[in-house]
Amino acid sequence: MRMRILGATVLLAASASLASAQQLTPSPTLDAVKARGNLECGVHLGLPGFSFANDKGEWTGLDVDYCRALAAAVLGDAKKVKYTPTSVQQRWPILQSGQVDVLARNSTITFSRNASLGLNFQGINFYEGQTFLVRKSTNAKTAADLDGASVCVAAGSTEEKNASDWFRERNLKVTITNFQKNDDAIAAYDAGRCDAYTAGVGALAGQRVKLKVPDEHIILTQPISNDPQGPVTRWGDERWQLIVRWVLNGTIAAEMLGVTSANVDEMKANSKNSEVRRLLGAEGDFGAMMGLPNDWMYNAIKQVGNYGESFDRSVGAGSTLKLERGQNQLWTKGGLLFTPPFQ
Amino acid sequence: MSSASLPLWRQRLFGTPATGIVTVVLAFVLAWVAIPIIRWALIDANWVGTTRADCTAGGACWVFIRARFGQFMYGLYPVDQRWRVDLTGIIFLVSVLGIVFAPQRLRLRAGLAALVVLPPLGIWLLAGGFGLRPVETREWGGLMLTLFISVYSSLIAIPLGIIFALGRQSQLRVIRLISILFIEFWRGVPIIAVIFLASLLLPLILPGGIGIDRLARAVIGLGFVIAAYMAEAVRGGLQALPSGQREAATALGLNYWKATGLIVLPQALRISLPAMTNEFIALVKNTTLVLVVSILDLLGIAQASLADPAWVGMNMEAYAFSGAIYWLICFALSRWSRHLESRRRL
Repeated sequence: MRMRILGATVLLAASASLASAQQLTPSPTLDAVKARGNLECGVHLGLPGFSFANDKGEWTGLDVDYCRALAAAVLGDAKKVKYTPTSVQQRWPILQSGQVDVLARNSTITFSRNASLGLNFQGINFYEGQTFLVRKSTNAKTAADLDGASVCVAAGSTEEKNASDWFRERNLKVTITNFQKNDDAIAAYDAGRCDAYTAGVGALAGQRVKLKVPDEHIILTQPISNDPQGPVTRWGDERWQLIVRWVLNGTIAAEMLGVTSANVDEMKANSKNSEVRRLLGAEGDFGAMMGLPNDWMYNAIKQVGNYGESFDRSVGAGSTLKLERGQNQLWTKGGLLFTPPFQ
Repeated sequence: MSSASLPLWRQRLFGTPATGIVTVVLAFVLAWVAIPIIRWALIDANWVGTTRADCTAGGACWVFIRARFGQFMYGLYPVDQRWRVDLTGIIFLVSVLGIVFAPQRLRLRAGLAALVVLPPLGIWLLAGGFGLRPVETREWGGLMLTLFISVYSSLIAIPLGIIFALGRQSQLRVIRLISILFIEFWRGVPIIAVIFLASLLLPLILPGGIGIDRLARAVIGLGFVIAAYMAEAVRGGLQALPSGQREAATALGLNYWKATGLIVLPQALRISLPAMTNEFIALVKNTTLVLVVSILDLLGIAQASLADPAWVGMNMEAYAFSGAIYWLICFALSRWSRHLESRRRL
């Protein structure tokens, strides 16, 4: 009997040590980030609302905010990010060759990229998709309401093909008016020659600001294509992938749980919700399980804010782009934004 | 009254009915093109203010250029360190002027001294270290970066070009073959491919620890391509030189290096100067290709600034402004080369 208990204890101890060893498998990327004292983040060269340098030369935008949150979680300081602007041709090689630790650059998640490029997508920080820009006076709420309308597009573009296929499949009579270039198409729309103009949600937000009276136009929130985007990492170094994924999840969870940069201190001290307490490091050792300080998400929320705050100030109501949340709303509020629980 | 007694301009523009008609038609076309541009750029333009909302007159919104002027000039270079860029520019400019106006006998020595001292000094001032705050090359940008790439690429290209031009005429078959291979290879590869390879493939091939700076890789790649073109320009000069020059030098007892350095090259370089300036002007414009690897030169920073939602839609202003600067640089260069040519003829 004693032998058996002893055996069980040994087994338990062994499995416990195995567990802790598993928890901290080596993470060369994390070690490198800590040693260098800053996060290397690949971003877009310039995309309104997502990543751009403002008049003061500071990088700003929704993707940039993700980089800042990650830096705050890993290094405790959202300012410790170095940005590498990347062109569309160089974005994958720059990540594959290890010149950046993470890529947050409006890149659509697809099967073939995931399977053949040696890259992993760590979640969705923006649901992109082709949709329509219409005048408020048309009262159209979804693409299906465009029956009988005309749409301006650039001839031969993916958008043209997507739109005409979509309307044909649904037997909707929509006139597609072709133009040589995108700029011509949007100008024709602004001049009133068509009822709608079509492009991705993010692109439309940037285009709408250029119109004569931006307030007279709305962007339909239900897209007709599916191009989710999120942070990307290389294959290998699972612990780093874990961190990249759960920092994104953490910013979404914070919005879900009502934690903002303004109330994070109060929430950490007084909240009775144990998921909030685990998220902010008041309970459980969630940071330590990844080799981070337990206040990792506290730092990210305190310094950068939750997903909703980022969205609002970079592309949403608090910005000049005035994009509606649409699919990028929380799943509890009719959107698609989702995070697994912090348990 | 004979037409000869008319003032010269009237003779030229309205000498015959046919020239008169051509003049009038061209004047109309010019006015038709120029008036809207002038209206947009000057008359209806907005000059004062700080935000997009200040642009109400309908013409160009130069407020945007004013707000972003620092970035157009220095990229994201830290504001409190920008004096270092200015200082570097002034040192280079003063040195070049000093060499041009130095007495003949000092000119060669001053030129060589500048070649040895200036490039490292410039890099130290811009990049920092050794007492100055380090500024990474990713923060460089704008006009400063365009000029940096142009100057440092040609610092690689001109000596290499001269060496390979001489090598191509060498009596030694191996040297001739190497030179021809180098020139033909780099002339045959598109610049954009070179920049791409230098920026993307090198890091994949080289072992992890060896990180050559991204900008340095682009500058070296560009330098090699231009070197091949420079070599051909110099070869033109060498071939234009009567063979009697070298023969006479040899007859005077000068060896190959002395004959080349003292007799052949000085004359050949003068002959090829216009062609070399051409290559340099092409180089200044080719620097914009570094945009494909996201190095923010003048054009790159112009494009990047269009992404700021606060200024979205300023395409015309950004491109007009950066285009004007490129034009100014290239125009100044071509005037300078014409000046040198005319001096040579005297």
